[in-house]
Amino acid sequence: MNRKRIYWWGERAVLVLVSCIVLFPILWMFLTAFKRPKDAYSLSLDFSPTLSNFVTVFSDPWNLGDMVLNSAIVASVTVLIAVPCASLAAYSFSRFRVRGRKFLFFLILSTQFIPAVVIVLPFFLMFRTLGLLDTRIALIVVNLAIVTPFVIWMIKGFIDAIPTDSEEAAMIDGASRLRVIKDIVLPMAAPGILTSSIFCFILTWNEFLFALILTRRDAVTLPVGLVSFRTERGDLWELMSAAGVMITVPIFIMALLIQKHFTRGMTAGAVK
Amino acid sequence: MRDRSLAYVLLVPAFLIVLATTLYPLAYSLVTAFREWDLTKQRRPGEFVGVDNFVHAFSEPGFQNSIWITTIFVITSVILTLLIAMSLALLLRREGRLHTFTRIILILPFAMSPALIGVSYRFMFNPEFGVIAKGLGAVFPSLEGVPWLASPDLAMAILVLTDVWHWAPYMTFMCLGGLASVPRETEEAARIDGASSWRVFFGVVLPQMKGVLLVIAVLKTIFALKMFDQVVTLTGGGPGTSTETLAFFIFNVGFKWYDMGYASALAWILTAIMMLISIWYVRMLLSERKMATA
Repeated sequence: MNRKRIYWWGERAVLVLVSCIVLFPILWMFLTAFKRPKDAYSLSLDFSPTLSNFVTVFSDPWNLGDMVLNSAIVASVTVLIAVPCASLAAYSFSRFRVRGRKFLFFLILSTQFIPAVVIVLPFFLMFRTLGLLDTRIALIVVNLAIVTPFVIWMIKGFIDAIPTDSEEAAMIDGASRLRVIKDIVLPMAAPGILTSSIFCFILTWNEFLFALILTRRDAVTLPVGLVSFRTERGDLWELMSAAGVMITVPIFIMALLIQKHFTRGMTAGAVK
Repeated sequence: MRDRSLAYVLLVPAFLIVLATTLYPLAYSLVTAFREWDLTKQRRPGEFVGVDNFVHAFSEPGFQNSIWITTIFVITSVILTLLIAMSLALLLRREGRLHTFTRIILILPFAMSPALIGVSYRFMFNPEFGVIAKGLGAVFPSLEGVPWLASPDLAMAILVLTDVWHWAPYMTFMCLGGLASVPRETEEAARIDGASSWRVFFGVVLPQMKGVLLVIAVLKTIFALKMFDQVVTLTGGGPGTSTETLAFFIFNVGFKWYDMGYASALAWILTAIMMLISIWYVRMLLSERKMATA
């Protein structure tokens, strides 16, 4: 009995410790974002919170607003292109047994494992010739490369889990395949598709390498914007933290909103 | 429309995207890998030089160093992530308020931008005003003033730490998914027969988790090989070249020295390594599925 109690407390102690390790860096960033510059360089928790860092990062010369806009546009358009295309492909992979299906699925899956730096080299050269460097279009195109295979994989996992009975019944009643997809499969797969969309949004929103190489001034996204707070006067931590809060908050809200599906979506593709 | 043709029609949009955004650039970079192309000297692609770029790689210290650094990084981060994820999953599969709370907040590190993770760890390990550096110094006086990110070994350790912090929670969810498919009955039976918790874990749970753990190990290996963001924002490859992973080295060759031919060759070496691992991975998945349906 005594051993059991020790174990009971030990388990809780470990969980509290894990929670602290997870939360501490995030909390510290949030605290720093609300500190005045002189407080940011002290460890004191006794400071009067201020919004001045947010005012600073949103005004000249940092103009974080432009970066928020770039990030939001790039991520949304990427999702709007990738998810519909991927959903159709996922349905096809999930329901039809046609020739070449295995090969195509293997081909698409394996592209997910190609390092981003390999893709970005030729794109840099092509965009340079086309005059598309430092544009949002360039970022959307390269992000599609990373996101599309991933989303196909995820949505296929969700569609696989939907039983085919009602589809078959509707087809016997004379409904066409496209009608079945629109009226039966789509509504049932909606939570899965929403989860995949948010996943896709998060990946694109956080994407760093492409934006670092392909943008300079006009199309800079938030993660790359972080680097600009490294100045000749040293790193401006309080401003970096304010920018960090701007990167994190929308994503955290999304992740927590779909928390249940989120964990299922994470495991759906890979474990199955 | 017949199902047969519809099956292909539905694939067309996604396939066009993959073709245009992945397969075409891959082919382009493969051709570039056999060319001489120094952007600082020539606007157009240069002569074909055969396998010179590849040969050059294996005789260059920078490349050899990055292979070594990448190997250390991949091995330590994969092992640590697996150990932590598996242990956490075992704790978290029980019910309880604290368990649910921990499960929810474990989503956060994965959702956080890796570039930002690098920045915030850099801040926390700053020897003058970093909260972790100062905190460790206060608890262990011998650690006061340690130049964390200026020491090669410690910088590498912190780089691994940021990566484990980012990925271990995600992998915990995958382990939880795997644990959910282990039937409770066999475990209960072993426990009733008087087996200790350790015996139950190693004798019953672990063998059934083998498939999932293998998948996680391979996935994590691939993610670790690709890891790039934190190198830029945390260490910048330094001090010296002590955290210059292969992905970062390729970036330097391509976008600091603008040697496109050489960078493409290096990128293809990295791709080859990852392709070998992923082919092995997909094969393993397919054979697992065969066993499951048999």
